[in-house]
Amino acid sequence: MELGTTWRGREESVGDARAMNNISMLRPLGWAIRPMAVRVWTDWVDHDRSARVWGAIRAVSNGGAPSLAHAVAACAQALSAAGAGLAMTRDGGLLEPVLATASEIGELDELQFELGEGPSGDAAAINAPVLEPDLAGLAAGRRWPAFAAGAGDRGIRGVFAFPVSAGAAKVGVLTVYRREPGSLQVEQLEDALTYADALFVLALDGRQGISTDLDEVIEAAFTARRAEVHQAAGRLASQQRISVTDALLRLRAHAYGSGLSLYKVAVDVMAGRLHLDGDLATGGHPPHRPDPTDPEQDEKEQEED
Amino acid sequence: MSASDRRVREVFIELSDTLVDDFDVIEFLDRLAAHCSELLGVSACGILLADHHGALNLVAASTEQARLVELTQLQTRQGPCFEAFTTGHPVQHADLRNARARWPRFAAAAVGGGYLSVQALPMRLRDTVLGAVNLFSATTGELDADTITLGQALADAATIGIVHQRALARQEVVTEQLQNALNSRILIEQAKGFLSHSLDIDVDEAFALMRSYARANNRRLTDVADDIVQARLTLTRAPDRA
Repeated sequence: MELGTTWRGREESVGDARAMNNISMLRPLGWAIRPMAVRVWTDWVDHDRSARVWGAIRAVSNGGAPSLAHAVAACAQALSAAGAGLAMTRDGGLLEPVLATASEIGELDELQFELGEGPSGDAAAINAPVLEPDLAGLAAGRRWPAFAAGAGDRGIRGVFAFPVSAGAAKVGVLTVYRREPGSLQVEQLEDALTYADALFVLALDGRQGISTDLDEVIEAAFTARRAEVHQAAGRLASQQRISVTDALLRLRAHAYGSGLSLYKVAVDVMAGRLHLDGDLATGGHPPHRPDPTDPEQDEKEQEED
Repeated sequence: MSASDRRVREVFIELSDTLVDDFDVIEFLDRLAAHCSELLGVSACGILLADHHGALNLVAASTEQARLVELTQLQTRQGPCFEAFTTGHPVQHADLRNARARWPRFAAAAVGGGYLSVQALPMRLRDTVLGAVNLFSATTGELDADTITLGQALADAATIGIVHQRALARQEVVTEQLQNALNSRILIEQAKGFLSHSLDIDVDEAFALMRSYARANNRRLTDVADDIVQARLTLTRAPDRA
């Protein structure tokens, strides 16, 4: 696989989306607290896997701000793949191929969407990974007859599609193509899920025009999995009559703009201490929440740990 | 043993009946947490699963109080569930008032929540530990051997439910199913937050409301949650019996 990532013809659509949503945001004074948040993060996770995944993204980005393209390229390498592609959607609608590690890989993504069949669309529909170790097998031929044949003609045997999503917030599908048949090793599978998490935050940030440093993305990608963050996203979606994806995006933008952790922002939204420029016509009262553990205090103590 | 054999049999039949195609994993684990409390004679039960980052996530809790105590454990990375998960062995503490040296934050939160003893059981699948089941009691003392055996059987039922493969599931299938359970939980949290605003209720009432709606209308909990966050379904505060 080539190291460089080739942006395909559709790259303009990402650029346009960014321009449309570009909210200029200055790096806040509170920026200095960032390294602390990163330390909290490293405390919680599988150091080896995360370090490996983020280290690989860092290597591909060559010290620059990590992009979707860097993460897709790093994932393809980690999975010993012929290449990988990313298709994106606005709020769970039609998927559109936006980038791939090479043009022939992008053609495979395009082929799936032209035919209206394939693992990527299925992964998006069921919002779960679709793993096909052998496109030449009977099951794949029955499930996606035209795509299996077309990909086979291009020398592809294994296809592995991972939703880039969190619950109802669906931003796209990461698809990895391999020339050799065979299942992914468990380590590779878990790496791919970690790459999909990274892509999720990079995609949200891309829509906001936030250009993040890697440590920032790491922290956000990890906290993006916590219950409070998703409760807050749902609450904000109802308050402002926006999609859960857009709600997560606003939480993330607020965290970035204020220098607070995503978790802290979420806890404040749920406690009714923080309102993110929405109408407060209904449910303006904070939800009653008997909480002997005081999440705010927890957060502080974690950062002191 | 705190439950009649007949009741135990009924529960296992009910749980295996739930394991049909297209079953809802969060609904299953939620029922299982409630059954654990009932059959084992404990005050509360929480179920935690590991994600691909190696971090534990709370996927079901029989009571709000247990949920809060479990969250303390997740935030501090210390407590019986963490130990059961990392060692793969059961962990017991008969009097949490004496556990402050071992798990300072967890012991304080548990005692503050009214729990004096705890038992954590690993959720094992062959040589992998997927997560752990935590049993909380309002009284001190160890659970007897029969109760622990039954508790481990329920923990194993939870594992089977998540993996959703009766026979030898390949590890990649396990990872896939685990991912499905964790992602379903995220969707439920989003819907809880959504309802907390639209109905001006707390997140636990929101969960109870979704659960009773799903049961009354014979729908999957995650489908109900999805409809709520997409604004396709509006619930009212009183449980909908339509």
